[in-house]
Amino acid sequence: MKRLTVLLLALLALALIPATGAFAAPAEKVITIGVDQEAVGLDPHIVTAFSSHRRLDLLYNRLVRIDDSMAIVSDLAESWDNPTNTVYVFHLRKGVKFHNGREMTSDDVVYSLNRVLDPKTASPGRSYIATVTAIEAVDKYTVKLTLSGPLPSLLDGLSSNNLAIVAKEVVEANGNLQKVEAGTGPFMLKEWVADNSMTLVKNPNYFEKGAPAVDKVIFRVIPEQASLLAGVRSGELDMATINDGAIIRQAAKDAKVTVMSKPGLNMRIFSFNTSRKPFDDVRVRQAVSLALDAPEILTIAEFGMGKVTGPLPIAATKWALAPSSLPFTGPDVEQAKGLLAKAGFPNGFTVKITCSSTYEGGLAVAQVAQDELKKIGIKAELEVVEWGVYIDKWVKRDFDTMIELRGGSPEPDRFLYRTFHSTGGVNNFLFKDAAVDGLLESGRSQTSYADRKVTYDKLQYLLSDRAPAVFLYCPNENQVLSKRLSGFKLVGNGSLYYLTSTDVKP
Amino acid sequence: MGRYIAKRLLSLIPVLFGVSVIVFFLVRLIPGSALQMYMGTQVEASPAQMEELKRIFGEDRPVPVLYLEWLGRLLQGDFGVSLRTGRPVLPDIASRLPLSLELTLMALFLALLIGIPQGIFASLGRRPFWDLANRVIGLLGLSLPQFWLAALMVLAFSGFRGWIPMGNFVSFAANPLRNIQMLLLPSLAIGIGLAAVIMRYTRNSMLEVLQMDYIRTARAKGLTRRVVILRHALKNAILPVITVAGFNTGYLLGGAIVIEEVFALPGMGRLALYAIYQRDYPVIQGIVLVIATLFVLVNLLTDLIYALVDPRIRLDSGGKH
Repeated sequence: MKRLTVLLLALLALALIPATGAFAAPAEKVITIGVDQEAVGLDPHIVTAFSSHRRLDLLYNRLVRIDDSMAIVSDLAESWDNPTNTVYVFHLRKGVKFHNGREMTSDDVVYSLNRVLDPKTASPGRSYIATVTAIEAVDKYTVKLTLSGPLPSLLDGLSSNNLAIVAKEVVEANGNLQKVEAGTGPFMLKEWVADNSMTLVKNPNYFEKGAPAVDKVIFRVIPEQASLLAGVRSGELDMATINDGAIIRQAAKDAKVTVMSKPGLNMRIFSFNTSRKPFDDVRVRQAVSLALDAPEILTIAEFGMGKVTGPLPIAATKWALAPSSLPFTGPDVEQAKGLLAKAGFPNGFTVKITCSSTYEGGLAVAQVAQDELKKIGIKAELEVVEWGVYIDKWVKRDFDTMIELRGGSPEPDRFLYRTFHSTGGVNNFLFKDAAVDGLLESGRSQTSYADRKVTYDKLQYLLSDRAPAVFLYCPNENQVLSKRLSGFKLVGNGSLYYLTSTDVKP
Repeated sequence: MGRYIAKRLLSLIPVLFGVSVIVFFLVRLIPGSALQMYMGTQVEASPAQMEELKRIFGEDRPVPVLYLEWLGRLLQGDFGVSLRTGRPVLPDIASRLPLSLELTLMALFLALLIGIPQGIFASLGRRPFWDLANRVIGLLGLSLPQFWLAALMVLAFSGFRGWIPMGNFVSFAANPLRNIQMLLLPSLAIGIGLAAVIMRYTRNSMLEVLQMDYIRTARAKGLTRRVVILRHALKNAILPVITVAGFNTGYLLGGAIVIEEVFALPGMGRLALYAIYQRDYPVIQGIVLVIATLFVLVNLLTDLIYALVDPRIRLDSGGKH
């Protein structure tokens, strides 16, 4: 009995010992960032996971990048010319060094882009530059791309991490870059303990003078969103990427932390399988579009953390039209009922909404939509499935309607063509419309902004009218920051690139 | 004894073979393939690229053929390569296993530490404090799901520096104190269910033994209550408890899967969880085989301990009597 008590007390004492080292003053500037998902791998030409891309933001450079206002700006290419609409010439920065010390030249650009184009690499970046027919190193610092046809989204495609410039010798020595890195980026990989932490250290030779401002960036994987906020509050983390609207709202009320939010490029949509009855009838789709109240869905399902959008992500301000100026953006229950009656469903019908309980799967959105559809007599049943089953149904186009989160782009061609063209790779609405196809094709062949703007304005009206999907809102990208940080900027695609210019007070 | 152990170890072969067949075909029955999960809903690929991807992901050949290929490599000690990360499976499992084992052992230790004394006190008649503690542990342990209890612990203790791992787990070798501090709550969450079970078994078993004649004799001889309980009664009463604890240790390992996710611990359980989410077949297969092996070994160990504690049992002469 006595011995047992002593043992218990000893154990308790052990647990109470404060974390050794946690209070030691850091000799170097470190930013510790909490994320909810571990990187799957680090090969920029292979990975698709969002979590991996956030590490690649810091390890690699691309020819061009997107800045915080969604404009294309110089990265490894100092400048570029576009002599004809099928030829691009890039002039590279001089003296840029890979992390292994070797200088980056036009040969590396040729190698990297060819690696992406090689079907054996199976790169998700291939479709961004698929029409490139020749990549030539004109001289040590000049690269020429020749295209089989005009591709106005080329620069936007090249800004993707999937088209990062890598060092050939490191790829060849390791087979691929999943565990190692071969970049020119502001930070270099030092240590990676899977599912725990990843430590990046400053690249002392980074081409931007004076950057990065800190010595180290440490990623820590913490799946629980509430713990992420607790981590920033307690000072164990300097920054955390949080998606959960409820937690963000809680953080916004907290004087100890700063919340940065802005609408991202992802888009929440309500998709129809246009090959299935009754959604083969455009009037039914328009009726559903009128019945769904996007602001209400945004408020309830996302705690208001986002912005209502049309067919183009609202953050792409150069192109996107306000949803209020587009047709069938409701809510208008009477008009919706009228359309249903004309389509032969005066008493509504029963339909399934496929969704999943992951964030992307949009269960909360489906629940609000279910309620709103009731008002026009449509009885919606929720088909809540595990994420893998959801993907399976998505790939096989096995659904009536589905809640989706689509990755948009600041470039209208790249997002709309693959999504709504009758031959588009991710058109799983099975949507076929000659007028839409025509506009998408002319948008792709035009080069001047004024011409393209006219085309894409028409297209946005047309897509709202034909309604292959109901465009709801763009969720915010959120970062919760400690007050010690300064200089960080959010990019709508979630990029952490601006950690390069972020400083931390001791 | 040696022959018995050898026999039991040999029995691992058919067990693992059976497990390998079941897991290999079962994981492929789950809707959604590794390639689909990899592509997600955002990526488009040309037909030629899809062909290449199918080949890389092994989706271009029939499952039985894949099984035979995998089995062939397995017999040479090659567990294959993760479809998600491209890393070999075995080193990944090996680097995660120690944490899961440590968690399991700590959970077992805490379960015994709480369960046995509680059971003994409960068997000695009514005392208000121990009675209350008894009920609380019973209630928490048996009726609360582990993951729920774990989530509550995270909420309650996340303000306490160092108690909840924040992606900064340190191994026992690097810093033993901090390591144990971080694993204390997770192992309690896993172990408390078993603690409740052990408590009940100990109590029932003690009540039975305390009725026996030899206990009365011991008391009549004038031995102290303490000696009677700890030396005479407990020795016999503990036998069924060992069996229960042994057979449940395997399940503790399973509990670690959920708890590691809640507490952000980089163990084998979390590796398994993500492998299942991503349909990373080689990793799932590898982990299931490792867990099956551990299960068999733990059961063997339980039987050996049983034989040591109970001299009436001779393992070599045809098993238990």
